[in-house]
Amino acid sequence: MLRPPFARLYREYIPRRGYYISGAMDGQGTGSAVESKKAEGYFPPPLNIVDGKPVVEKVGLLAGVLRFLGEPFRSAWHHRDLIVAILRRELRERFKGSAAGWVWAVMAPLLSLITYTVAFGGSAKLPNNSASASPVDYALFIFGGLVAFNFFSEMAYRAPSLLHEYSHYIKQTMFPAEMLAIISTLRATTYAAIALVLMLACQLVLGGALHWTALLIPLWFLVFLMFLVGITWFLSALGAFTRDTSYLMMTIAPLLMFATPVFFSQESLSPTMNKVMYLNILTGFIEIVRDLVVFGQLPGLFVTLWTVFLSLVTFWFGYWFFCNRRDGIADVI
Amino acid sequence: MSSEGEVIIRAKHLAKSYQLYDNRHQWLKQTLLGSFKTYYKAFWALKDISFEVRRGESLGILGRNGCGKSTLLQILCGITRPTKGDLWVNGRVAPILALGATFDLEATGEENVLIGGAVLGLKREEILSKLSSIADFAGIGDFMDQPIKLYSTGMRMRLAFAICAHVDADILIVDEALSVGDEAFQRKCFDWIDAFRANGTLLFVSHSPTEVIRLCRQAIWIDNGRIREAGRPVDVARSYERATAVEADNMDRFSAT
Repeated sequence: MLRPPFARLYREYIPRRGYYISGAMDGQGTGSAVESKKAEGYFPPPLNIVDGKPVVEKVGLLAGVLRFLGEPFRSAWHHRDLIVAILRRELRERFKGSAAGWVWAVMAPLLSLITYTVAFGGSAKLPNNSASASPVDYALFIFGGLVAFNFFSEMAYRAPSLLHEYSHYIKQTMFPAEMLAIISTLRATTYAAIALVLMLACQLVLGGALHWTALLIPLWFLVFLMFLVGITWFLSALGAFTRDTSYLMMTIAPLLMFATPVFFSQESLSPTMNKVMYLNILTGFIEIVRDLVVFGQLPGLFVTLWTVFLSLVTFWFGYWFFCNRRDGIADVI
Repeated sequence: MSSEGEVIIRAKHLAKSYQLYDNRHQWLKQTLLGSFKTYYKAFWALKDISFEVRRGESLGILGRNGCGKSTLLQILCGITRPTKGDLWVNGRVAPILALGATFDLEATGEENVLIGGAVLGLKREEILSKLSSIADFAGIGDFMDQPIKLYSTGMRMRLAFAICAHVDADILIVDEALSVGDEAFQRKCFDWIDAFRANGTLLFVSHSPTEVIRLCRQAIWIDNGRIREAGRPVDVARSYERATAVEADNMDRFSAT
């Protein structure tokens, strides 16, 4: 009997019934998996809603406050793999399609650093009565302010549209939307960190040595991070409900630069204005990073405490604000 | 429903309303003055839904467009909250809702698997160890390294189903999206679902009564935000088919009050 030449091939390509099933469920048949997952404490807590409101275990006032304070950290730890997965993707995406890729992330701050050194290097004097008078110091002084301000403004611009960017996740899956603020702030941190490393390298090469206080920079980052995450929670929750938030930030952020001592030192202002400047939390951050990197001295106690206090308040207020509105977010976005 | 097995999903009098505004000014007024006066129209997508599903059960959900099926599924997944009513869902839910719609178009298939798995609550090592198995199941070969935007609809759906098939879910929610796949892949999916049903809980949503009869042991028919009929799939499907053949396709149900 004459058989078509492809008959044998065709038969080989018919998917074998059951083959994929055993592949997919290999070693984790649902029955035993349920038990083992339960044993590992791996099971998600049951979704329990009574009369439209999730049931929360009742605890005392103090325990309730403590639980609330620990909640953002617990939740971030619980979703750490998700944070890493999305962060990796976001970082990879940033310079996708460009041939130079990450070179751009280094080039931009490097160029501005060079520009400041050339432009201000010889001429300007440090407003601070610091002993060091190296020509690069003023450039570093300004650059330090810019790094902090850009760190803030990147979040201020992005936060209002953050949830819209991820609306497909928020509407279709059980996506922990509160993690987006952390992810996007971590992303911004990468660029701020590149700029800061450049700044330190520049100081090492041109100034000859680093101050030991530069070791405290990670702490500065940590506090700044908490502030930015808090403000991102607040702005993104607001931005989910109305697009006006993003126009508002686009209007305010550039103006805020002049209310922030980026190009000058607040110590050159009158004593009253000097105090008023501290209402802007960025003043504290900029002063601290300058103290640590450029002047090599410990920041003042008052400034440090005030900045840390404002950051912590912003962090938990932002979290509270976000969680309070998160139920509505999936419906309006 | 059968008495053995613990209750996995219990819904009691679920209702969900959306606020519809004529324009943004109304919304602003509602936000600022909402406690004095109402400026929106309420649209009740779900009015009164009660049912119970036990472990190992399978429930088919029938209904026409806009009857509230998707809202119900969103509530069961925990994406939105019901406005009223009680809900108890115990276990990991894998929704194959609007398959592939959650993909990030710019990211590669592999990145999407990592993100999708993490969203469903898997640990990174677990996903990485299952990566080849997922790629096998989806059968999209070298496209795993390409951005999703280059995928065809069928390929996206294959990948989405492959992810859901690998998350060790307790509750699988299958939307009508399955109909996108070709014959062979559909058969593969249904075979997998058959195996899953042995221990897992299945919610199957479809316009097609035949599939519901084939896959489910219980069925409910949602009409206009309420359960119109519940019982054996054969009976529910029969009255559903009869009703759709007779009733006109009137759009009253889309109107807000």
